Amino acid sequence: MLRILKNKYFILVLVTIAIFFTIGLSAKPDSNANWVSHIINATVSPLQKIFSFSGQKVSGSLSFFKDVKAVQKENEELKARIDQLEKENAQLQEYKVKNEELKSALNLKDQFNEYDFVGANIIAKDPGNWFNVFTIDIGKNNGIGNNFPVVTGKGLVGSVYSTGLISSKVVSIIDIDSTVSARISKSREVVRVKGDITLKEQGLCRMDYISPEVDVEVGDTIETSGLGGIFPKGIIIGKVKEIRQTNNELNRYAVIEPAVDFKRLEEVFVLKSKTGNTGVDNTAK
Amino acid sequence: MRFKVFIIGIFIFLIGVIQSTILNYFEVYNVKPNLLVVFIILSALLRGNTEGAVIGFFAGLSQDIIAGKVVGFYALLGLYLGLVVGSLNKRLYRENFLVAIFFTFFSTIAYELAVYLMYKGGEYIVAPTAGIQFNVLFVLKHIVLPEAVYNSGISVFMYMLVMKLFQKLEYLDKAARKY
Repeated sequence: MLRILKNKYFILVLVTIAIFFTIGLSAKPDSNANWVSHIINATVSPLQKIFSFSGQKVSGSLSFFKDVKAVQKENEELKARIDQLEKENAQLQEYKVKNEELKSALNLKDQFNEYDFVGANIIAKDPGNWFNVFTIDIGKNNGIGNNFPVVTGKGLVGSVYSTGLISSKVVSIIDIDSTVSARISKSREVVRVKGDITLKEQGLCRMDYISPEVDVEVGDTIETSGLGGIFPKGIIIGKVKEIRQTNNELNRYAVIEPAVDFKRLEEVFVLKSKTGNTGVDNTAK
Repeated sequence: MRFKVFIIGIFIFLIGVIQSTILNYFEVYNVKPNLLVVFIILSALLRGNTEGAVIGFFAGLSQDIIAGKVVGFYALLGLYLGLVVGSLNKRLYRENFLVAIFFTFFSTIAYELAVYLMYKGGEYIVAPTAGIQFNVLFVLKHIVLPEAVYNSGISVFMYMLVMKLFQKLEYLDKAARKY
Protein backbone atom coordinates (compact mmCIF):
# COMPACT_ATOMS: atom_id res chain seq x y z
CA MET A 1 0.00 0.00 0.00
CA LEU A 2 2.78 2.36 0.88
CA ARG A 3 4.69 1.45 -2.21
CA ILE A 4 1.78 2.38 -4.43
CA LEU A 5 1.71 5.84 -2.86
CA LYS A 6 5.30 6.39 -3.87
CA ASN A 7 4.71 5.35 -7.45
CA LYS A 8 5.01 8.35 -9.74
CA TYR A 9 2.35 7.15 -12.13
CA PHE A 10 -0.09 6.67 -9.32
CA ILE A 11 0.49 10.21 -8.09
CA LEU A 12 0.11 11.51 -11.63
CA VAL A 13 -3.23 9.78 -12.13
CA LEU A 14 -4.40 10.97 -8.73
CA VAL A 15 -3.46 14.59 -9.44
CA THR A 16 -5.08 14.45 -12.87
CA ILE A 17 -8.33 13.19 -11.42
CA ALA A 18 -8.18 15.83 -8.69
CA ILE A 19 -7.71 18.58 -11.29
CA PHE A 20 -10.65 17.35 -13.36
CA PHE A 21 -12.70 17.38 -10.22
CA THR A 22 -11.72 21.00 -9.50
CA ILE A 23 -12.50 22.03 -13.05
CA GLY A 24 -15.96 20.57 -12.67
CA LEU A 25 -16.48 22.26 -9.32
CA SER A 26 -15.24 25.68 -10.37
CA ALA A 27 -17.10 25.74 -13.67
CA LYS A 28 -20.03 27.38 -11.91
CA PRO A 29 -19.12 31.05 -11.36
CA ASP A 30 -20.73 31.27 -7.93
CA SER A 31 -19.23 28.06 -6.62
CA ASN A 32 -17.31 28.04 -3.36
CA ALA A 33 -14.40 26.26 -5.03
CA ASN A 34 -13.28 29.65 -6.35
CA TRP A 35 -12.47 31.13 -2.98
CA VAL A 36 -8.78 30.19 -3.18
CA SER A 37 -8.43 32.03 -6.44
CA HIS A 38 -10.32 34.99 -4.97
CA ILE A 39 -7.86 35.25 -2.10
CA ILE A 40 -4.83 35.04 -4.36
CA ASN A 41 -6.41 37.48 -6.77
CA ALA A 42 -6.86 39.96 -3.96
CA THR A 43 -3.10 39.93 -3.44
CA VAL A 44 -2.24 39.97 -7.13
CA SER A 45 -4.51 42.80 -8.21
CA PRO A 46 -2.71 45.69 -6.43
CA LEU A 47 0.48 44.61 -8.17
CA GLN A 48 -1.31 44.33 -11.48
CA LYS A 49 -2.67 47.80 -10.93
CA ILE A 50 0.83 49.22 -10.52
CA PHE A 51 2.14 47.37 -13.54
CA SER A 52 -0.65 48.27 -15.91
CA PHE A 53 -0.70 51.86 -14.71
CA SER A 54 3.01 52.27 -15.42
CA GLY A 55 2.57 50.46 -18.71
CA GLN A 56 -0.13 52.90 -19.75
CA LYS A 57 2.02 55.85 -18.72
CA VAL A 58 5.05 54.63 -20.64
CA SER A 59 3.11 53.82 -23.77
CA GLY A 60 1.26 57.13 -23.44
CA SER A 61 4.39 59.22 -23.15
CA LEU A 62 6.05 57.37 -26.02
CA SER A 63 3.18 58.11 -28.33
CA PHE A 64 3.24 61.72 -27.09
CA PHE A 65 6.49 62.38 -28.88
CA LYS A 66 5.38 60.48 -31.92
CA ASP A 67 2.30 62.43 -32.77
CA VAL A 68 2.73 66.02 -31.66
CA LYS A 69 2.24 67.19 -35.23
CA ALA A 70 -0.82 65.09 -35.80
CA VAL A 71 -2.25 66.38 -32.55
CA GLN A 72 -1.79 69.99 -33.61
CA LYS A 73 -3.69 69.43 -36.81
CA GLU A 74 -6.33 67.45 -35.00
CA ASN A 75 -6.67 70.21 -32.45
CA GLU A 76 -7.65 72.72 -35.09
CA GLU A 77 -10.13 70.35 -36.61
CA LEU A 78 -11.59 69.62 -33.22
CA LYS A 79 -12.04 73.28 -32.42
CA ALA A 80 -14.08 73.75 -35.53
CA ARG A 81 -16.05 70.69 -34.62
CA ILE A 82 -16.72 71.98 -31.12
CA ASP A 83 -18.35 75.07 -32.51
CA GLN A 84 -20.53 72.98 -34.69
CA LEU A 85 -21.41 70.60 -31.89
CA GLU A 86 -22.23 73.36 -29.47
CA LYS A 87 -24.77 74.65 -31.88
CA GLU A 88 -26.24 71.20 -32.26
CA ASN A 89 -26.12 70.64 -28.55
CA ALA A 90 -28.24 73.67 -27.80
CA GLN A 91 -30.82 72.35 -30.17
CA LEU A 92 -30.67 68.88 -28.70
CA GLN A 93 -31.16 70.23 -25.18
CA GLU A 94 -34.41 71.60 -26.36
CA TYR A 95 -35.35 68.23 -27.78
CA LYS A 96 -34.33 66.54 -24.57
CA VAL A 97 -36.65 68.61 -22.47
CA LYS A 98 -39.42 68.01 -24.92
CA ASN A 99 -38.66 64.30 -24.99
CA GLU A 100 -38.76 64.04 -21.23
CA GLU A 101 -42.05 65.83 -21.09
CA LEU A 102 -43.52 63.48 -23.65
CA LYS A 103 -42.06 60.45 -21.93
CA SER A 104 -43.52 61.35 -18.58
CA ALA A 105 -46.79 61.96 -20.32
CA LEU A 106 -46.64 58.48 -21.75
CA ASN A 107 -45.36 57.03 -18.46
CA LEU A 108 -42.42 55.31 -20.10
CA LYS A 109 -39.91 53.86 -17.74
CA ASP A 110 -36.32 54.77 -18.45
CA GLN A 111 -34.38 51.56 -17.99
CA PHE A 112 -31.06 53.20 -17.33
CA ASN A 113 -32.43 55.10 -14.37
CA GLU A 114 -32.58 51.82 -12.50
CA TYR A 115 -28.83 51.47 -12.66
CA ASP A 116 -25.86 53.02 -10.92
CA PHE A 117 -22.79 53.52 -13.07
CA VAL A 118 -19.74 52.34 -11.15
CA GLY A 119 -16.44 53.34 -12.75
CA ALA A 120 -13.59 50.83 -12.95
CA ASN A 121 -10.10 50.56 -14.38
CA ILE A 122 -8.88 47.58 -16.34
CA ILE A 123 -5.86 46.24 -14.49
CA ALA A 124 -5.08 43.04 -16.35
CA LYS A 125 -5.91 41.13 -19.49
CA ASP A 126 -6.00 37.46 -20.28
CA PRO A 127 -2.42 36.11 -20.39
CA GLY A 128 -3.10 33.82 -23.33
CA ASN A 129 -4.20 34.50 -26.87
CA TRP A 130 -7.45 32.60 -26.81
CA PHE A 131 -9.91 34.46 -24.69
CA ASN A 132 -10.89 38.06 -24.26
CA VAL A 133 -11.22 38.30 -20.54
CA PHE A 134 -9.97 41.16 -18.42
CA THR A 135 -9.76 42.08 -14.76
CA ILE A 136 -11.19 45.29 -13.30
CA ASP A 137 -10.28 46.85 -9.97
CA ILE A 138 -13.66 46.68 -8.21
CA GLY A 139 -15.31 43.68 -6.67
CA LYS A 140 -17.67 42.47 -3.97
CA ASN A 141 -16.59 45.34 -1.72
CA ASN A 142 -18.10 47.76 -4.21
CA GLY A 143 -21.28 45.75 -4.46
CA ILE A 144 -20.44 44.10 -7.76
CA GLY A 145 -21.81 40.64 -8.45
CA ASN A 146 -21.82 38.09 -11.23
CA ASN A 147 -23.53 38.89 -14.53
CA PHE A 148 -23.49 42.64 -14.04
CA PRO A 149 -23.35 44.39 -17.41
CA VAL A 150 -20.20 46.33 -18.28
CA VAL A 151 -20.31 49.31 -20.65
CA THR A 152 -18.42 52.39 -21.72
CA GLY A 153 -19.81 55.68 -22.92
CA LYS A 154 -19.81 54.28 -26.44
CA GLY A 155 -21.51 50.96 -25.93
CA LEU A 156 -21.55 47.47 -24.55
CA VAL A 157 -18.32 45.87 -23.34
CA GLY A 158 -19.45 42.61 -21.75
CA SER A 159 -20.50 41.20 -18.42
CA VAL A 160 -18.92 40.29 -15.10
CA TYR A 161 -18.52 36.55 -14.69
CA SER A 162 -16.50 36.14 -11.53
CA THR A 163 -16.24 38.49 -8.60
CA GLY A 164 -13.48 38.58 -6.02
CA LEU A 165 -13.21 40.87 -3.05
CA ILE A 166 -11.44 43.75 -4.75
CA SER A 167 -11.34 42.67 -8.37
CA SER A 168 -13.63 41.02 -10.88
CA LYS A 169 -13.22 39.32 -14.22
CA VAL A 170 -15.17 40.54 -17.21
CA VAL A 171 -15.94 38.56 -20.36
CA SER A 172 -16.11 40.89 -23.33
CA ILE A 173 -18.65 40.47 -26.12
CA ILE A 174 -15.93 39.44 -28.60
CA ASP A 175 -14.85 36.52 -26.39
CA ILE A 176 -15.63 33.16 -27.96
CA ASP A 177 -17.77 32.19 -24.97
CA SER A 178 -19.95 35.28 -25.05
CA THR A 179 -23.48 35.38 -26.40
CA VAL A 180 -25.70 38.44 -26.28
CA SER A 181 -29.31 38.69 -27.31
CA ALA A 182 -29.52 41.70 -29.59
CA ARG A 183 -31.87 43.66 -31.77
CA ILE A 184 -31.45 45.42 -35.09
CA SER A 185 -32.36 49.00 -34.26
CA LYS A 186 -34.09 49.66 -37.56
CA SER A 187 -36.27 46.58 -37.97
CA ARG A 188 -36.56 45.62 -34.25
CA GLU A 189 -35.66 42.06 -35.23
CA VAL A 190 -34.10 39.94 -32.46
CA VAL A 191 -30.76 38.39 -33.34
CA ARG A 192 -27.83 36.88 -31.50
CA VAL A 193 -24.39 38.45 -31.22
CA LYS A 194 -21.63 36.00 -30.53
CA GLY A 195 -17.87 36.05 -30.20
CA ASP A 196 -16.03 34.26 -32.97
CA ILE A 197 -12.48 32.98 -32.94
CA THR A 198 -11.83 34.00 -36.54
CA LEU A 199 -13.02 37.59 -35.94
CA LYS A 200 -11.85 38.11 -32.38
CA GLU A 201 -8.37 39.33 -33.14
CA GLN A 202 -9.68 42.11 -35.36
CA GLY A 203 -11.97 43.14 -32.50
CA LEU A 204 -15.12 42.08 -34.33
CA CYS A 205 -17.95 39.71 -33.52
CA ARG A 206 -20.62 37.83 -35.37
CA MET A 207 -24.40 38.16 -35.63
CA ASP A 208 -26.44 35.01 -36.11
CA TYR A 209 -30.07 33.99 -36.30
CA ILE A 210 -31.03 36.56 -38.90
CA SER A 211 -34.31 35.39 -40.31
CA PRO A 212 -34.39 35.29 -44.11
CA GLU A 213 -37.06 37.92 -44.61
CA VAL A 214 -35.31 40.54 -42.52
CA ASP A 215 -33.63 43.35 -44.35
CA VAL A 216 -30.14 43.93 -43.00
CA GLU A 217 -27.73 46.42 -44.46
CA VAL A 218 -24.15 47.37 -43.83
CA GLY A 219 -24.10 50.20 -41.32
CA ASP A 220 -27.20 49.14 -39.39
CA THR A 221 -26.95 49.72 -35.65
CA ILE A 222 -27.28 46.76 -33.31
CA GLU A 223 -28.40 47.17 -29.71
CA THR A 224 -29.14 44.86 -26.80
CA SER A 225 -32.62 43.40 -26.79
CA GLY A 226 -33.12 43.15 -23.04
CA LEU A 227 -34.03 39.48 -23.40
CA GLY A 228 -32.13 37.07 -21.20
CA GLY A 229 -32.12 39.34 -18.21
CA ILE A 230 -28.44 40.28 -18.02
CA PHE A 231 -28.27 43.35 -20.20
CA PRO A 232 -30.79 46.16 -20.04
CA LYS A 233 -32.53 47.03 -23.27
CA GLY A 234 -31.10 49.52 -25.72
CA ILE A 235 -27.35 49.54 -25.12
CA ILE A 236 -25.53 50.05 -28.40
CA ILE A 237 -23.45 47.03 -29.39
CA GLY A 238 -22.09 48.15 -32.73
CA LYS A 239 -22.66 48.42 -36.44
CA VAL A 240 -22.99 45.84 -39.18
CA LYS A 241 -19.72 45.76 -41.10
CA GLU A 242 -20.30 43.00 -43.57
CA ILE A 243 -22.98 40.47 -44.40
CA ARG A 244 -21.76 37.03 -45.33
CA GLN A 245 -23.74 34.34 -47.06
CA THR A 246 -23.05 30.80 -45.91
CA ASN A 247 -23.44 27.75 -48.09
CA ASN A 248 -27.14 28.16 -48.77
CA GLU A 249 -29.21 31.17 -49.75
CA LEU A 250 -31.24 31.47 -46.58
CA ASN A 251 -28.45 31.13 -44.13
CA ARG A 252 -26.35 34.19 -43.51
CA TYR A 253 -24.52 35.94 -40.76
CA ALA A 254 -23.21 39.44 -40.30
CA VAL A 255 -19.90 40.72 -39.02
CA ILE A 256 -20.40 43.33 -36.33
CA GLU A 257 -17.97 46.08 -35.54
CA PRO A 258 -18.47 46.84 -31.85
CA ALA A 259 -18.85 50.48 -30.83
CA VAL A 260 -16.17 49.90 -28.24
CA ASP A 261 -12.54 49.63 -29.31
CA PHE A 262 -11.35 46.63 -27.31
CA LYS A 263 -7.70 47.24 -28.12
CA ARG A 264 -7.64 50.61 -26.40
CA LEU A 265 -10.00 49.96 -23.55
CA GLU A 266 -8.79 51.31 -20.21
CA GLU A 267 -11.80 52.41 -18.21
CA VAL A 268 -15.27 50.92 -18.07
CA PHE A 269 -18.52 51.30 -16.12
CA VAL A 270 -20.27 48.48 -14.36
CA LEU A 271 -24.04 48.83 -14.25
CA LYS A 272 -25.24 48.15 -10.75
CA SER A 273 -28.94 47.68 -10.36
CA LYS A 274 -30.44 50.05 -7.78
CA THR A 275 -33.14 47.61 -6.85
CA GLY A 276 -30.58 44.93 -6.03
CA ASN A 277 -32.08 42.62 -8.57
CA THR A 278 -29.26 41.19 -10.63
CA GLY A 279 -31.54 39.65 -13.16
CA VAL A 280 -31.84 36.08 -14.24
CA ASP A 281 -29.09 33.72 -13.20
CA ASN A 282 -27.26 32.81 -16.36
CA THR A 283 -24.68 30.35 -15.17
CA ALA A 284 -25.74 27.68 -17.62
CA LYS A 285 -24.37 28.38 -21.03
CA MET B 1 14.78 23.28 -0.53
CA ARG B 2 12.23 25.52 1.10
CA PHE B 3 14.12 28.52 -0.14
CA LYS B 4 14.08 27.14 -3.67
CA VAL B 5 10.34 26.60 -3.63
CA PHE B 6 9.87 30.12 -2.33
CA ILE B 7 12.05 31.72 -5.01
CA ILE B 8 10.47 29.76 -7.86
CA GLY B 9 7.04 30.59 -6.47
CA ILE B 10 7.84 34.29 -6.55
CA PHE B 11 9.28 33.93 -10.02
CA ILE B 12 6.08 32.32 -11.34
CA PHE B 13 3.98 34.95 -9.60
CA LEU B 14 5.97 37.79 -11.17
CA ILE B 15 5.86 36.27 -14.64
CA GLY B 16 2.10 35.88 -14.27
CA VAL B 17 1.65 39.53 -13.34
CA ILE B 18 3.91 40.77 -16.15
CA GLN B 19 2.14 38.47 -18.57
CA SER B 20 -1.28 39.88 -17.76
CA THR B 21 -0.30 43.55 -17.72
CA ILE B 22 2.78 44.83 -19.50
CA LEU B 23 2.89 42.19 -22.20
CA ASN B 24 -0.31 43.57 -23.68
CA TYR B 25 1.81 46.38 -25.11
CA PHE B 26 4.06 43.93 -26.91
CA GLU B 27 1.50 42.35 -29.15
CA VAL B 28 2.71 41.58 -32.66
CA TYR B 29 0.09 40.52 -35.21
CA ASN B 30 -2.45 40.48 -32.36
CA VAL B 31 -0.48 37.79 -30.57
CA LYS B 32 1.56 38.06 -27.42
CA PRO B 33 4.12 35.58 -26.19
CA ASN B 34 3.26 33.29 -23.31
CA LEU B 35 6.07 33.66 -20.79
CA LEU B 36 4.58 31.12 -18.41
CA VAL B 37 4.62 28.44 -21.08
CA VAL B 38 8.20 29.31 -22.02
CA PHE B 39 9.14 29.11 -18.36
CA ILE B 40 7.54 25.68 -18.01
CA ILE B 41 9.29 24.36 -21.11
CA LEU B 42 12.71 25.70 -20.12
CA SER B 43 12.58 24.53 -16.54
CA ALA B 44 11.42 21.11 -17.66
CA LEU B 45 14.30 20.99 -20.14
CA LEU B 46 16.83 21.92 -17.50
CA ARG B 47 15.44 20.06 -14.51
CA GLY B 48 13.75 16.92 -15.81
CA ASN B 49 10.20 15.64 -15.69
CA THR B 50 9.33 15.70 -12.00
CA GLU B 51 10.30 19.28 -11.38
CA GLY B 52 8.97 20.20 -14.82
CA ALA B 53 5.59 18.76 -13.92
CA VAL B 54 5.45 20.50 -10.54
CA ILE B 55 6.50 23.86 -11.98
CA GLY B 56 4.11 23.34 -14.88
CA PHE B 57 1.27 22.69 -12.50
CA PHE B 58 1.85 25.82 -10.44
CA ALA B 59 2.56 28.06 -13.43
CA GLY B 60 -0.66 26.83 -15.02
CA LEU B 61 -2.52 27.34 -11.78
CA SER B 62 -1.37 30.94 -11.58
CA GLN B 63 -2.66 31.52 -15.10
CA ASP B 64 -5.95 29.95 -14.06
CA ILE B 65 -6.21 32.26 -11.10
CA ILE B 66 -5.26 35.42 -12.97
CA ALA B 67 -7.63 35.04 -15.86
CA GLY B 68 -8.93 31.52 -16.28
CA LYS B 69 -12.61 30.79 -16.54
CA VAL B 70 -12.32 27.62 -14.49
CA VAL B 71 -9.66 26.61 -12.00
CA GLY B 72 -7.54 23.71 -13.20
CA PHE B 73 -7.70 24.09 -16.97
CA TYR B 74 -4.25 25.54 -17.50
CA ALA B 75 -2.87 23.72 -14.44
CA LEU B 76 -3.61 20.36 -16.03
CA LEU B 77 -2.12 21.35 -19.37
CA GLY B 78 0.93 22.88 -17.69
CA LEU B 79 1.47 19.71 -15.66
CA TYR B 80 1.53 17.53 -18.75
CA LEU B 81 3.58 20.03 -20.73
CA GLY B 82 6.29 19.98 -18.05
CA LEU B 83 6.08 16.22 -17.76
CA VAL B 84 6.37 15.49 -21.48
CA VAL B 85 9.09 18.04 -22.20
CA GLY B 86 11.01 16.89 -19.13
CA SER B 87 10.78 13.25 -20.21
CA LEU B 88 12.03 14.05 -23.71
CA ASN B 89 15.08 15.94 -22.59
CA LYS B 90 17.03 12.95 -21.23
CA ARG B 91 18.61 12.11 -24.54
CA LEU B 92 19.41 15.60 -25.67
CA TYR B 93 22.23 17.87 -24.88
CA ARG B 94 20.25 20.35 -22.93
CA GLU B 95 22.73 23.11 -22.28
CA ASN B 96 22.32 24.39 -25.76
CA PHE B 97 20.45 27.40 -27.04
CA LEU B 98 19.21 25.75 -30.19
CA VAL B 99 17.67 22.88 -28.30
CA ALA B 100 15.77 25.38 -26.18
CA ILE B 101 14.48 27.28 -29.21
CA PHE B 102 13.56 24.08 -31.00
CA PHE B 103 11.71 22.73 -27.98
CA THR B 104 9.92 25.98 -27.31
CA PHE B 105 8.68 26.17 -30.88
CA PHE B 106 7.25 22.68 -31.09
CA SER B 107 6.02 22.47 -27.51
CA THR B 108 4.15 25.76 -27.89
CA ILE B 109 2.38 24.44 -30.96
CA ALA B 110 1.44 21.23 -29.18
CA TYR B 111 0.39 23.08 -26.03
CA GLU B 112 -1.75 25.70 -27.72
CA LEU B 113 -3.46 23.13 -29.90
CA ALA B 114 -4.18 21.16 -26.73
CA VAL B 115 -5.69 24.30 -25.19
CA TYR B 116 -7.95 24.72 -28.21
CA LEU B 117 -9.01 21.08 -28.32
CA MET B 118 -9.61 20.93 -24.58
CA TYR B 119 -11.67 24.11 -24.75
CA LYS B 120 -13.75 22.63 -27.57
CA GLY B 121 -14.09 19.42 -25.57
CA GLY B 122 -15.38 21.40 -22.61
CA GLU B 123 -17.84 23.16 -24.86
CA TYR B 124 -19.08 19.80 -26.04
CA ILE B 125 -19.58 18.56 -22.49
CA VAL B 126 -21.57 21.68 -21.57
CA ALA B 127 -23.74 21.67 -24.68
CA PRO B 128 -23.52 18.40 -26.61
CA THR B 129 -26.36 19.25 -28.95
CA ALA B 130 -24.94 22.51 -30.27
CA GLY B 131 -22.77 21.89 -33.29
CA ILE B 132 -19.09 22.28 -32.54
CA GLN B 133 -17.09 23.95 -35.26
CA PHE B 134 -13.40 23.39 -35.57
CA ASN B 135 -11.28 26.08 -37.11
CA VAL B 136 -7.99 24.30 -36.58
CA LEU B 137 -6.34 25.67 -39.70
CA PHE B 138 -7.30 29.26 -38.99
CA VAL B 139 -6.27 28.93 -35.39
CA LEU B 140 -2.96 27.39 -36.39
CA LYS B 141 -2.19 30.13 -38.84
CA HIS B 142 -3.34 33.14 -36.85
CA ILE B 143 -2.73 32.25 -33.24
CA VAL B 144 -0.63 29.15 -32.69
CA LEU B 145 2.17 29.62 -35.21
CA PRO B 146 2.77 33.34 -34.56
CA GLU B 147 2.81 32.64 -30.86
CA ALA B 148 5.24 29.75 -31.32
CA VAL B 149 7.60 31.98 -33.28
CA TYR B 150 7.31 34.76 -30.72
CA ASN B 151 7.82 32.34 -27.85
CA SER B 152 10.91 30.87 -29.48
CA GLY B 153 12.38 34.35 -29.82
CA ILE B 154 11.64 35.13 -26.19
CA SER B 155 13.02 31.75 -25.10
CA VAL B 156 16.58 32.89 -25.90
CA PHE B 157 16.42 35.57 -23.21
CA MET B 158 14.35 33.47 -20.86
CA TYR B 159 16.85 30.65 -21.27
CA MET B 160 19.68 32.77 -19.96
CA LEU B 161 17.54 34.00 -17.09
CA VAL B 162 16.18 30.60 -16.08
CA MET B 163 19.61 29.00 -16.39
CA LYS B 164 21.11 31.62 -14.08
CA LEU B 165 18.22 31.16 -11.66
CA PHE B 166 18.68 27.41 -11.39
CA GLN B 167 22.45 27.69 -11.14
CA LYS B 168 22.11 30.13 -8.25
CA LEU B 169 19.53 27.97 -6.55
CA GLU B 170 21.69 24.88 -6.88
CA TYR B 171 24.66 26.75 -5.50
CA LEU B 172 22.64 27.93 -2.52
CA ASP B 173 21.29 24.44 -1.99
CA LYS B 174 24.81 23.04 -1.87
CA ALA B 175 25.96 25.75 0.48
CA ALA B 176 23.06 24.99 2.79
CA ARG B 177 23.84 21.28 2.80
CA LYS B 178 27.33 21.77 4.20
CA TYR B 179 26.04 22.70 7.57
